[in-house]
Amino acid sequence: MVFSSLLFLFTYLPIVLLIYYLSPLKWRNGVLLIFNLIFYGWGEPVYIVIMFASIAIDYTHGMLVDKCKKKGNDRGARMAVASSVIFNLALLFFFKYWDFLAGSLAALGLHFMPVLGVSLPIGISFYTFQTMSYTIDVYRGDARVQRNIISFGTFVTLFPQLIAGPIIKYKDLGEQLDHRDHTAERFASGVEIFVIGLAKKVLLANNLGQFWDAYKVLPTSELTVLGAWLGVVAFSLQLYFDFSGYSDMAIGLGRMLGFEFLKNFDYPYISRSITEFWRRWHISLGSWFREYVYIPMGGNRVSRGRLCFNLLVVWGITGIWHGASWNFLLWGLYFGVLLMVEKLWLKKWIDRWPRVLQHIYTLFLVLVSWAIFAVEDFGQLGGYLSAMFGLSGAGLADGAFGYYLGSYGPSLLAACVASTPLMASLWRRLPKRAEQVLLPVVLLAGLLLCTAYLVDATYNPFLYFRF
Amino acid sequence: MSKRYAFFLTILFCGFLAVFFAANLISPDRDFSQDENRYLSQKPELDASDFALKLPLDESGDFFTGKFMSDFESYLTDQFVFRDEWIAAKAMAERLAGKGENNGVYLCDKDTLIPRFDRPDSTKVTNNLDYVNKLVENVDVPVYFSLIPGKVSVWADRLPEGAPNASEGDILTQAQTTTQAHWVDIASAMEAHKDEDIYYRLDHHWTSLGAYYGYAALMEVMGLEVTPLSDYEKTTVSTDFNGTTYSSSGVRWMAPDSIDIYVPEEGITVTAWNGTQPEAGVLYDWSKLEVKDKYSFFLGGNKPLAVVKGQNTAGPKLLVIRDSYSDSLAPFLTADFSEVHLFDPRYNKTPVSQYVAENGIDQVLVLYSVSNFVSDGNLFILSK
Repeated sequence: MVFSSLLFLFTYLPIVLLIYYLSPLKWRNGVLLIFNLIFYGWGEPVYIVIMFASIAIDYTHGMLVDKCKKKGNDRGARMAVASSVIFNLALLFFFKYWDFLAGSLAALGLHFMPVLGVSLPIGISFYTFQTMSYTIDVYRGDARVQRNIISFGTFVTLFPQLIAGPIIKYKDLGEQLDHRDHTAERFASGVEIFVIGLAKKVLLANNLGQFWDAYKVLPTSELTVLGAWLGVVAFSLQLYFDFSGYSDMAIGLGRMLGFEFLKNFDYPYISRSITEFWRRWHISLGSWFREYVYIPMGGNRVSRGRLCFNLLVVWGITGIWHGASWNFLLWGLYFGVLLMVEKLWLKKWIDRWPRVLQHIYTLFLVLVSWAIFAVEDFGQLGGYLSAMFGLSGAGLADGAFGYYLGSYGPSLLAACVASTPLMASLWRRLPKRAEQVLLPVVLLAGLLLCTAYLVDATYNPFLYFRF
Repeated sequence: MSKRYAFFLTILFCGFLAVFFAANLISPDRDFSQDENRYLSQKPELDASDFALKLPLDESGDFFTGKFMSDFESYLTDQFVFRDEWIAAKAMAERLAGKGENNGVYLCDKDTLIPRFDRPDSTKVTNNLDYVNKLVENVDVPVYFSLIPGKVSVWADRLPEGAPNASEGDILTQAQTTTQAHWVDIASAMEAHKDEDIYYRLDHHWTSLGAYYGYAALMEVMGLEVTPLSDYEKTTVSTDFNGTTYSSSGVRWMAPDSIDIYVPEEGITVTAWNGTQPEAGVLYDWSKLEVKDKYSFFLGGNKPLAVVKGQNTAGPKLLVIRDSYSDSLAPFLTADFSEVHLFDPRYNKTPVSQYVAENGIDQVLVLYSVSNFVSDGNLFILSK
């Protein structure tokens, strides 16, 4: 099930909220667990088995880690952590990378791995990472072991962030599983964020996605320079509003249920360096990799050569995490190299540039990265990139470009403005009274518009099925 | 945020969800949407067999394959309370946001809606053209071939500036140069009369007037007499026609089309085959003027086979390999032919050469709109 659907908004969510709030406090995790499983199983009922297995295995491993630690058996605790990490990675590898690897080997003429054709369980990249954080956090003493299997199950399957993040580390949520406040203030602020997220996804992302879809299918010979750039601008805005809209909805829903999740996006497109961009884009993923991979590998406090190695490894994994395809690996390494160059030399120099130049530098590199991200086929990717740099021979612009610019201009402009903090800061400057009157009007208008777009749902893609 | 204000927002949001949740529960389900001209999804049922679990998974029951769930979501979307109003509101919102199109339909000048013409599958086009050539080889009678251009090319000047479409002209050129049949250039005839109402503004078909110009072009190539337009009296049979493009566009603010006829139905008999048995048909099905899909007024809509006989009993017999454009053309053809056989390869799999021989056909016409011709998957029957 996805949030931006009539089924979720007008059937699932009202029922969940009603039953959740009618239940006594101590039953609420149990109620939530059942609804989480329904949410997950709606699309793929069979894969609920994975959920049960994950809950049971990670729960047991957590207990094991705790027991070993209490006995002072560090070796045992480490073994338990390793075993849980292996289980989760094996799960992820089997469902996400097996066919990719088998296909790639077959292309080289090596046929010892059969292509199985298993479908990717939705959200597997997110929840395996979350459950891995649990045993590690317990081992490191950052979180207490969860003895209640229902509470633990609620954490593993928590529907607001189950299928598209944010990736929540257990230590940030553990306490809330057993003690959280259900106040009207928290609920209302959740409503606000949820509706903003819904509008980002349904009104902005879906709109710009159609623009991108029109461009990505064009043969290279018809891709004009401006068309190719505008196409990738549209994609970058689509991805941002889709993903951050989804995170906003997750955070909003979390608050409605009394949870507090950390921010996942912080206006990434206003960044003035690639280093800053990755502090603002998909924050929960970046911090997961930093805490559980990069720092354990030695982080920054290593020799130059080792640093470069660490960065490339972490960013190679980050890339391939986004999807089992070579272009994602290339995309990750592209950022790995950029971050390495910034860290070692360029950043100090960039900091002295005029602001405009810093923005142009960052946006240029980020846009190129999205072309690598969006076009999976290397042949097409080459064509697309060559069109961006004027090598396609289709000229600067054509009639279709003019049409698309006119037709999508207002949406593009709105999206550009919405990707900066401008509107939020204007909103904060409103007199208190005006804000109080405007807020419900805006929320209601947003809900009505989103409903109209969802009823006429000709275009409502789910972008993270690869994750 | 004060506690009271927070309660207010909470109730506003929950109230919004609850109102539509409840309204969807109590509002009765509809079978058919007039506005969209299609049957709506109905509530899927679950029984014991849907819970059968088998390997491979896609052989399991509807519950485990997830088919039940996706059916349920279509049901919910199709039966959403005030569906038609939401769709109209979305089209209006797109318009206000400056969009030149909605759901693949361009919003054009002169209250016209034009469906986008996407790049056709070139293998399919080549194959379909080959099938027509095979037909020419397989039958002993002359074969005529023409493709009818759509509004998207004839009324291109009404499109939004620069609106991207694939070229129908390329398809026409390809057809004309590769065909071994006698080519009829209907496109030029339409082009010459493009300032007249030769297409419905809100439907993809040509009007009776457009069909007349198509008829005139055909007769010239066939060497038959063209009945002048002035010999006919125009009768307007409906002023309230909202056609297919109206349905798919969601646009509800444009004035409806009129349907005109030129040929009176007196003296014309129609025999239609829906199965193996002939039944009496009509040239004009007046009851269809009461429903949404008013174009089916002509011959009562698509039939596998219909034979139209007029008063010119001395004329030759024509077989038309048709799509729905031929339904409004058929009345004009009765002036020159004793029998017009309308054969629809989508629903009729009789080998065409066999049909020609068994029915004493004198001429064959393969007539399709460009957009139907490039997407049709049934034309192989021509080569049989």
